Amino acid sequence: MNYSQYVVHSPQNLNEALGILKEKASEIRLISGGTDVMVLIKDNIIKEKELLNLSFLNELRYIHEEGNTIKIGALITYKELEKSKVVNLNAPILVDASKTIGAAQIQNLGTLAGNLGNASPAGDSIPPLYVLNASVKLQSADSERVVPVSEFFLGPRKTKRAPNELITEIAIEKTKPGLYYFFKKLGLREANAISLVSVACIADLDQYKKVNSIKLALGAVAPTVMFAVKSEKLATDKQLDLNLVDEIARSVSEEISPITDIRGSAEYRRRAAYGLVYEGLYEVLMGTAKRVSGSFEGVY
Amino acid sequence: MQKFLTPNIIVLDMDVSVTFTLNGKQVIVKAPAAKSLLRVLREDLGITSVKPGCEAGECGACTVLMDGEAVTSCLVMIVQAEGHQIVTAEGLVKDGKLDPLQEAFVEEGASQCGYCTPGFIISAKGLLLEKPNPSENEILEAIGGNICRCGAYPRIINAIKKVGGEQH
Repeated sequence: MNYSQYVVHSPQNLNEALGILKEKASEIRLISGGTDVMVLIKDNIIKEKELLNLSFLNELRYIHEEGNTIKIGALITYKELEKSKVVNLNAPILVDASKTIGAAQIQNLGTLAGNLGNASPAGDSIPPLYVLNASVKLQSADSERVVPVSEFFLGPRKTKRAPNELITEIAIEKTKPGLYYFFKKLGLREANAISLVSVACIADLDQYKKVNSIKLALGAVAPTVMFAVKSEKLATDKQLDLNLVDEIARSVSEEISPITDIRGSAEYRRRAAYGLVYEGLYEVLMGTAKRVSGSFEGVY
Repeated sequence: MQKFLTPNIIVLDMDVSVTFTLNGKQVIVKAPAAKSLLRVLREDLGITSVKPGCEAGECGACTVLMDGEAVTSCLVMIVQAEGHQIVTAEGLVKDGKLDPLQEAFVEEGASQCGYCTPGFIISAKGLLLEKPNPSENEILEAIGGNICRCGAYPRIINAIKKVGGEQH
């Protein structure tokens, strides 16, 4: 481990950071919470020799409520999401997912923006962001644009972020009160395990459990997190019963395109996806699934 | 072992000076900016309760409190510690007296080889600072990121319950 080979830039504000990024672009590696990059440094498998330490950009440490949207600054950690009242009330699926990421130590360090930037197909915060209609704000010294999270990823470790751009904010839509939601994942250990499959779901059902609309996003089963579009269509406007639960779960397991890797086989992932979706929808059917409480108090 | 530097090797001094609070005392340390807090604590500051295990954030042996929250010090670059309050197991000892949590670990015999113990104690301390009376589930979640390969978990959980649990 030769730590001396790295030059670390630690800008004190966003303008300074964007200036450095403009100059260095792809020669510099971004580091925020450090939970991914420090492991690469330890293993000496990082090609950039300059690091842009984002941890002092305190202006990106905020959670703002704006009408039907919640804006989350890039430095917000999982722990801060878990503690945020506005997120708990209006986007609880993101809280549930955050609580499963790594362990307490990781949740205290890791950031939501970092999970997006790292672009692992198994990033556990990403399926919830899909179903929350999230968008990613990318800023450079000369420009600013917003990309829907479902279009942000191009493949494993590949995103639409240009080398001179920084993720500065993530915006999520508030979930309507009363909607059902669940986040479920399967890993080889309860804590600190990379997911084999993860599922995020938000479902709008009427009082007789007819599906008005449903969103289903899955992680670790395709090159990027994906919506189970066919399965969503299959479920819409149908009466939820045990048959439909089975049908949707089966459809999801067929719609995904998992690979075999060190953590599990493709076939295992298909079965696990079936199981997780079945379990989640069964709880919705039985009325034991969680529902969004929702509130607009404006106090965090 | 290299005895001398050849003339065409240029050694750049890229160390940075970092100031933070360690166990209540201000420290100023000079180190490579990307060096982990774990390595600086052990190699430059002599704080050996902080253990290197996986050095990838998975085992919890290097857990320290950063501003009262448990973090794995292997994942913190030393420059990121600037201005923060760092507490290790050494810092829990006040006037030569062990912290009640440390006492409880001793009384319960909550360690075998002891390598993981400081990490567990710091994780538990982080929990108790936030929730003085945690539920069993909260205790399990708080130490979920710590691994004990001797398998002393039941005694570790008992020790934490003794200090902070609802059931004593």
